[in-house]
Formats: sequence, C-alpha cells, structure tokens
Amino acid sequence: MSHGYNGKILHVDLTEGHLSVEEPDEAFFRKYMGGSAMAMYYLLNDMAPGVDPLGPENVLVLALSVLTGTAVSGQSRMTAAAKSPLTGGIGDSQGGGFFPAEMKFAGFDAIVIKGKAEKPVYLWINEGEYELRDASHLWGKITGEAEAALKEELDDNKIEVLQIGPAGEKMVRFAGIFSMSNRANGRTGMGAVMGSKNLKAVVVRGKKRPSVADKARVNQLARWGSSNLADSDIAGLAKYGTAETTGSNQTSGTLPAYNFNSGVFDGWEAIDGTTMYDTILKGAAEGKQDREGRDTCYACTVRCKRVAEIKEGKYKVDPHYGGPEYETTSTFGNYNAIDDLAAIAKANELCNKYGMDSISCGATISWAYEAFNEGKLTLEDTDGLDLTWGNADSMVKLTEKIAKREGFGDVLAEGSARAAEKIGRGTEEYLITFKGQEAPAHMPRVKRSLAVIYATNPFGADHQSSEHDPAIEGDFEFYTDRMAVLGFTEEQETRSLSDEKIRFAMASQHMYSTMDSLNLCQFVYGPAWQLYGPDDMVELVRAVTGWERVNFEELQIVGERRLNMMRMFNAREGIDRKADVVPDKLFKPLKGGVSEGWKLDRDEVEAALDKYFEFCGWDVETGIPTAEKLEELDLGWVVAE
Amino acid sequence: MLVIHIQLYSILREKLPEEAKGRADLQFELGSTLTDLLGELGISRRVVISMNDEHETDRTRELQDGDEIKIFSSISGG
Ligand code: SF4
Repeated sequence: MSHGYNGKILHVDLTEGHLSVEEPDEAFFRKYMGGSAMAMYYLLNDMAPGVDPLGPENVLVLALSVLTGTAVSGQSRMTAAAKSPLTGGIGDSQGGGFFPAEMKFAGFDAIVIKGKAEKPVYLWINEGEYELRDASHLWGKITGEAEAALKEELDDNKIEVLQIGPAGEKMVRFAGIFSMSNRANGRTGMGAVMGSKNLKAVVVRGKKRPSVADKARVNQLARWGSSNLADSDIAGLAKYGTAETTGSNQTSGTLPAYNFNSGVFDGWEAIDGTTMYDTILKGAAEGKQDREGRDTCYACTVRCKRVAEIKEGKYKVDPHYGGPEYETTSTFGNYNAIDDLAAIAKANELCNKYGMDSISCGATISWAYEAFNEGKLTLEDTDGLDLTWGNADSMVKLTEKIAKREGFGDVLAEGSARAAEKIGRGTEEYLITFKGQEAPAHMPRVKRSLAVIYATNPFGADHQSSEHDPAIEGDFEFYTDRMAVLGFTEEQETRSLSDEKIRFAMASQHMYSTMDSLNLCQFVYGPAWQLYGPDDMVELVRAVTGWERVNFEELQIVGERRLNMMRMFNAREGIDRKADVVPDKLFKPLKGGVSEGWKLDRDEVEAALDKYFEFCGWDVETGIPTAEKLEELDLGWVVAE
Repeated sequence: MLVIHIQLYSILREKLPEEAKGRADLQFELGSTLTDLLGELGISRRVVISMNDEHETDRTRELQDGDEIKIFSSISGG
C-alpha cells in the first residue's frame, strides 16, 4: 500500500475545457518524490522547446510531495513551475501556507495545466471532484476581495484559494501566485503564466488526510520539533521573523544597500525584525503580538510568518495581507536606502494585494533609483516621481504603478533587465540580475559560493537554493554533525572559493533541491541552523512513506535529478554556460562599513564555475549535463529528447 | 573593573528583564573576554557580534572599558 500520496495527477486543458486524472505508479513517486522534481518531469514531457512563456503552449505545474499534509512542521509547501516569462528558461517557485495541505486532502498530488481558457475561469476541486467555473466576475479583483467572493460563492469558509491578483492578469513579468492573500509562489513570474492562461484561481477543499506508514514515528518527530524549537537556532526567526537577520547582516557587511553598491545601511535598525515586533505587528500596542502578530503554515510549530497592522498615519496596513519578510524589508528598504518601516509594510501589502514578487519588484525599483541618482533617468521618465535614495513615498507609488502597469510602472513591470534594455543610456551597469531575475538580499561579494550558485542556478539568482557560506566558515563548529552527513569535516576560510567550498555549494544545493522536491520548508529542514537536520529528513520520509530503505544518498539524488532536469530544460531552450553570468556590478568594490572594498574577481569566479561544472558532471564548456550523468541519474529519457 | 554597554536583539533580549529591551551596562573584571560575556549572559548558540561598530569574530578578544557591544541571534541564510 502506498503512503503519503494520493497517486493522482489532475491534467487540465484550458483550451479544450478537458480535465482528466492520471494515476502514476509507486516507482514514479519514489523516483521524483514530488514538488519541483515531479514538475520537471511534466514540463520536459508535455512542452515543446521554444514556446512563448505567455502563450497557451506553456505548461504550468502545481505540485506537492509525498510528505505534504502530514502533521509535522514545515511540510505544507507547493511548487509552481513553468517556462519563465522573466528568464525565458525554467521557472520555479515554492510557497507555503494552508493551500498545499488542503490540496492534498482534496485528493491530488499535482495539477498540470495547459492551454488558455477563452474567458477567465477558476478550477474548483472538492473532495476529489473537479470542474472549471466561470471567473469573469473575479477578474480585476485584488486577492483579498477575490478570496472573500469565492468563500461566499461556494458557501464555505474553509476553502483554500490559490490565485493571481491584477498584476498576474496584466502579466507583470514577476507576478506571483498567492494563497491566503499573503503567501507567495513569488519568483520567476509564475503568476504571469497563470494570467496568460485566463486562470484566476485554483480553489480546494478536502478532508481526506494522507495515510502515513508509521504514525507514531511521525508524531515523535513532530513532538521533538515542538519541544526543541525554543533552544534551536531558529527560535529568533520564529518569534521575530526572517527580518531578525537584518542586524547580523549589517554587522558582517552583507546587507545589500544602495542597489548593492554597499553592504551596510545606517538606517537598518528602523526596519529590522526586532523593531517590527515592537511596533507594527498586530497587537504590538497591547503587547499581544506574540499571539496576534504571528502566523503559520499547516501544522507548523514555528509560526514565523508576520501579520502587520497599521491603523494610523500615512500608510495604513491591513493585517489580512500579512507582513514583510527580510527579503521585502531589504528590497524595498535597504536596497533603496529607505528606513520607513510603514512604507515598506505598505509596499508589501500592495505586492500581496496585486500579486507580485516583492523581491523582483523592490529590486527593479532599486535599479530605477540608482539610474535616477546617477542622472540616467529624469523626472520625465518617472512620471514626475523623485527617486532620490531614501524617498519612501515614491517607492510606494511606484509599486502600485507597476502592479497596474501605469506609465513608468509599465516599463518596470517587464523586470529590470528588460527595462534597462529599453531605456539604455548605460543603465545595464546597474543591473543585479542573473538570467534576468533580480538578486535577493544576500551578498555574493562576501558569501562567495552564492556567486557560483546564483550564476549557475537554472532559474536565476535564488537564495534558497543552497546553504550559505557561514555554515562552512565561522559557524562550522556549531553544525559539525550535520555538515558531516553532507561529507564536510573541515572549516573553510571566509570569502574563499576553495574546491571544498564549491563542493559544499553543490552538495548543499542538491539537498535544497531535494527539499524543493519534498516541498519542505528550508527554515525547518536543512544542513546547518535549521530545526531539523539531514538525518531527520530521512527519518520523516521513511516514517511517512514506509520506504525504509531510503537513505540520505537516495534523497540527494532526487535533488540532483531535479537540478539536472532543469539544466536540460534550459539546454533545449538554447540556454547554456554563456548565460551563467555574474553581473558586472559584483566585480566592483563595495563601499562603506566592514565590507568596504570587497569584490569578486573575474578569473576566480570563472575558475570556480569550471570546478562547479566538473563536480556536477556537466560539460565544462557548455555547462550542459553529459549523457553519462543523465544515465547515472536514471534520466536517459531526457537524453533521447 | 570595567563597564561595557550591551544591546541584545531579537530572542536574545529575553536574557534580560523585559523592560530592559535588550539594553544593559555590565561590569567585568579586567582581562575578561567576549567568551566571558557570552557565558555571563548564558548564550551558547551561534551569534554575530558587533564591537564598537566592527564585526568581531574572535571570542578571545578582551573587553575594554566603555565597549559598545551588540549581539545578534541570526540564521545564516534565508
Ligand atoms: S517555518 Fe515559517 S514558513 Fe516555514 S513552514 Fe513554518 S511557518 Fe511556514
């Protein structure tokens, strides 16, 4: 008997209005496990190369794993993958909340969506039954309103709604897919793909809990997590949110500021997690924010999500739209030298209302700020908005204009790389994009393995695709047991790109890739500071699925398989090593603070890339997986393409 | 004796009474180090330390009278 999964994939052809169910066998689930790896299987099989990412031939996959919906922390996450309208290559993003678990309870492991509906529709899945319904009346509505309308229409408050906002409808190239009106599959423009298909929402409801092979062991793991959280390295993240990391990044010179010209920002303390906790979290005024200002994902004991509420002042913020993460306080805040937390929370609310990735949105705005401050953009270009560093009002206005594709916002809605191409005037030099995707708030000039991962990652810069350097540098002593499971026993020098560091980047990338295929939260599971380590992850897979012979090596291969499939997807699109480029800006020295003068070296980075490809078993010239490597990963069918 | 000024952030604030908001002036014997400070505060997990606005990774570093020390608990990625 199979455990953990439903064994059902729903195929939806929106052009034909045809829905069907596929029931893959156990070997399929064992090989791909779910999430991103499973999505890659369908994308490679069901989509021809060269299609328009915003055309009906693109395929959008929403996928869960064999673990989703079990009663343990960090498992309610879902992959959204398709060809990316932002990068032109593979698109992939992960999101949490309650939707993923509910979709499992509703009877499916994945939904594969093709074609384009004639008029707006939504997909309604209820206890294993499914149908497409008219969504004309929802089109144009912001997320909170569409969600409320659907709850009323279906007369059920417990439905979970995954949807696009108006930005997705208008195909903003970094539009995301949202649930709870505040959880995002944010990156690589998956919301634009959904919008191009006239698919407004996927709504799910179900009560069928997945069967679990050994409930007692799963419960034991869950209990261990709850009782060890307070003493773990994520205790601060849980209570103070991801933005607790702002101060430590400031201290180590890794807080991107002034569009990555500096690694420090004087105004950091006004926008960090501690200040957020004391000021704008719901209930903070009455000291009740620990209860009211934190939120969670299904069955997660960590409760790291923020709920911001601002009732007075220029920027009022509705708690329904959650609160900013570290990435968001950075891209809207320090990237633009803005220290106004209310304005940042407002921009975050706008992203969640209209459905946009706050990383690409804030980073694209930051590109515009630098161009303006360097005199390459004028008030005429910006519809009269003054983009002087630190101007919070313009940042908020610009966010809304992007969502609505109004005026200058329409230029930025294409993402910074396309905007720079359109504007010209040397503004390409201000880009911090990798494969056209804007960089998140970490500093490759200091945490140098990130330069290798960002450059080679098939879907562009991503901070959640590998473990960052500190785990094998100064912090190594705290995680020796876990790092040993990955095969690392020696601390590496700070800012080095040693062979061992590159091996660490690759091995941890495989583990993160596995977690994106098991759809595990990377705050809860991981190779270093996370609540659970690699051995716990193996134990969880065994206990849920009953596959007692699964070991860490097998799981690593799932992640490696997914990564290789992604590189192959890109290779079919003509994207190879030539696209594995680090933006020029990162070869220029940082200014100010502890990281003053630090920069990447071109020769060192190229040599590191050579090594990385070699370690991956990919052709060093082209960066494409070799036939032998694909055979080794049981991906011979991909070679045959 | 020497007096140092500390500011603790996020969860580390809970090492001090709530009304202190993570701020305190602490007395130490001459020759005391950052390790002594962390021991005194009962901090054993990974932290990032700013000492007079410099990133300090050497835990054997001796405390000086009037030092301004900020201590952060933090995840290293995410
Ligand atoms: S740690 Fe946070 S983001 Fe991850 S599953 Fe738990 S509540 Fe959700």
